[in-house]
Amino acid sequence: MISSLIPTWLAQSPTIEELESKVALDSQILTETFYFWTVVIMWLIHVGFMAYEAGAARRKNIMSTAMKNILTIAVVTPTFYYFGWYIYGCFQEGWPKSGHASPDAFEGFCGATAPWSAAMGPNLQDHVSAVFFLAFLLFSWTTGSIMSGALIERVRLSAYLVLTAVLGSVVWIMDAAWGWSSGGWLTTRYGFHDAIASLVVHGVAGAFAFGVLLNLGPRIGKYTTDGLARTFRGHNTHLTLMGLMLIFTGFYGFYAACLVIQSTIFPGWLNIYGSPTTLGAIAFVITIGFAGGFTGGWFASKGDPFWTLSGGLAGVVAVSAGADVYHPSLAYLLSISGGMLAVWAGGFIEKKLRVDDAVGAVAVHGVCGFYGVLLVGIFAGGYPTGINNVPTSFGGQLMGMMAFLPLAFLPGYAISWILKKMNLLRVPAEVELEGLDLAEFGQDFYPEFERVPEIIIEPDGREVASAPVLLDAYWQTNGTPKTPVGVGERS
Amino acid sequence: MFDAFPYDEWGEDIADFWTFGGHNSTGTWILTVLGFTVMLVAFWGFFILENRKLGHQADRLKASGALDRPSTTTGHGA
Repeated sequence: MISSLIPTWLAQSPTIEELESKVALDSQILTETFYFWTVVIMWLIHVGFMAYEAGAARRKNIMSTAMKNILTIAVVTPTFYYFGWYIYGCFQEGWPKSGHASPDAFEGFCGATAPWSAAMGPNLQDHVSAVFFLAFLLFSWTTGSIMSGALIERVRLSAYLVLTAVLGSVVWIMDAAWGWSSGGWLTTRYGFHDAIASLVVHGVAGAFAFGVLLNLGPRIGKYTTDGLARTFRGHNTHLTLMGLMLIFTGFYGFYAACLVIQSTIFPGWLNIYGSPTTLGAIAFVITIGFAGGFTGGWFASKGDPFWTLSGGLAGVVAVSAGADVYHPSLAYLLSISGGMLAVWAGGFIEKKLRVDDAVGAVAVHGVCGFYGVLLVGIFAGGYPTGINNVPTSFGGQLMGMMAFLPLAFLPGYAISWILKKMNLLRVPAEVELEGLDLAEFGQDFYPEFERVPEIIIEPDGREVASAPVLLDAYWQTNGTPKTPVGVGERS
Repeated sequence: MFDAFPYDEWGEDIADFWTFGGHNSTGTWILTVLGFTVMLVAFWGFFILENRKLGHQADRLKASGALDRPSTTTGHGA
């Protein structure tokens, strides 16, 4: 009886080829599903940035601040689709093109990234290209959101949208092509290693924002005539802290999306350069990075809530570049230093350079982003990187830093300078004093709450009503505040 | 049979043009150019609309005198 069934079973059992085909399809669908969910989780980064920045804004600027984050999606998405993704696919060899430095580079990728490509839609033969595009798109939104917080309460929405489109769809994706891809010239020639985007996302966005801030100038009343910094009190610190926690949650999706999943090939995961790692290692480093960053931020700021949480972000940024290779204890120590560095750099930028970065974005993302790749050169020197297995080195990391600093800073400075000359960068001083929400939207967004006098904190720590201070600053500068560059330079 | 599309005899051509097919089709090129153009127009619109709002509000505030510097002569000896 049983022996008579065996031929039937054999006839029904799949061949090796059929099994291989099924495993390959399952693997593709697993990849598709994985990136899809990283995108979903990464939306939380933008929810978080919106809450974070809106909370840091004064009551009169809440919606204009939040609208920047929302419209980031409206402009970076089409620009990234129409030319940003193409830049990533086609500029990995550098520019002018000199040919891939490795025969293993993904040669056909360029054509698949054009907006008219067969890979950019419901292509039943391609489960991966569309979700991979989306993951990168969410990184692009993140670069814009990093910059947006620095500029709040005085930048024009339209100017910000142009700047964020350039940052999100040209600048950062060019640096990603050069140093955050399997065929990027910085990696295949010099072993540049920035596994989870310390510099290519955070550092570059911070440097671009710094260039914009130099032209944008401080908020009216931010500095005394002696060049000392006053502090504006955000309307809702709880909202800001909740926003930061949402950003942190979204970062787990960000980190996961930085890996390449290959479920049928040992060890199943690669970093962006094609070097093996594991998802667990990455999650381990980000978690201990937050722990160290909070600790460093807390002690350096003497317990300031805003800087403690920002320190957590800075700690993670500082260890991201080497997250695929660091020992957890090393990540803990380095992230503590990153959290402390952000606090000190933030104070230096605000008080010494007198650049009004409203949320410390240049310190947290810019300074710690560059710091992160420098640390890889020190602590992971010799580790083979990328498809050419070029050893990571201090010189290679410096090469990346020297390439990305002008790539980020100069466009930010130049475009904001042009907008400034066209009088399109900053809102009129009168609107800034009254608040952007009334001009942009015609309403106050807490209508059921009584309006109490706005407070400003003087350099000596006194809380005073802001209206006389701001009006005095407005009169002194004739409504055109400049970046104070030295004590006593402003009359 | 219910005809969902009133121009049934053109349906296949229209679907070929507007929906996603192979690259390098005429529809793909035209839609790409259209989308890119609308994106540029949207940028221009963001500037125009905001500039109008901000200019109007700034003019209104200046005209109201609310932000004017108080006179330094307070009336003594006037």
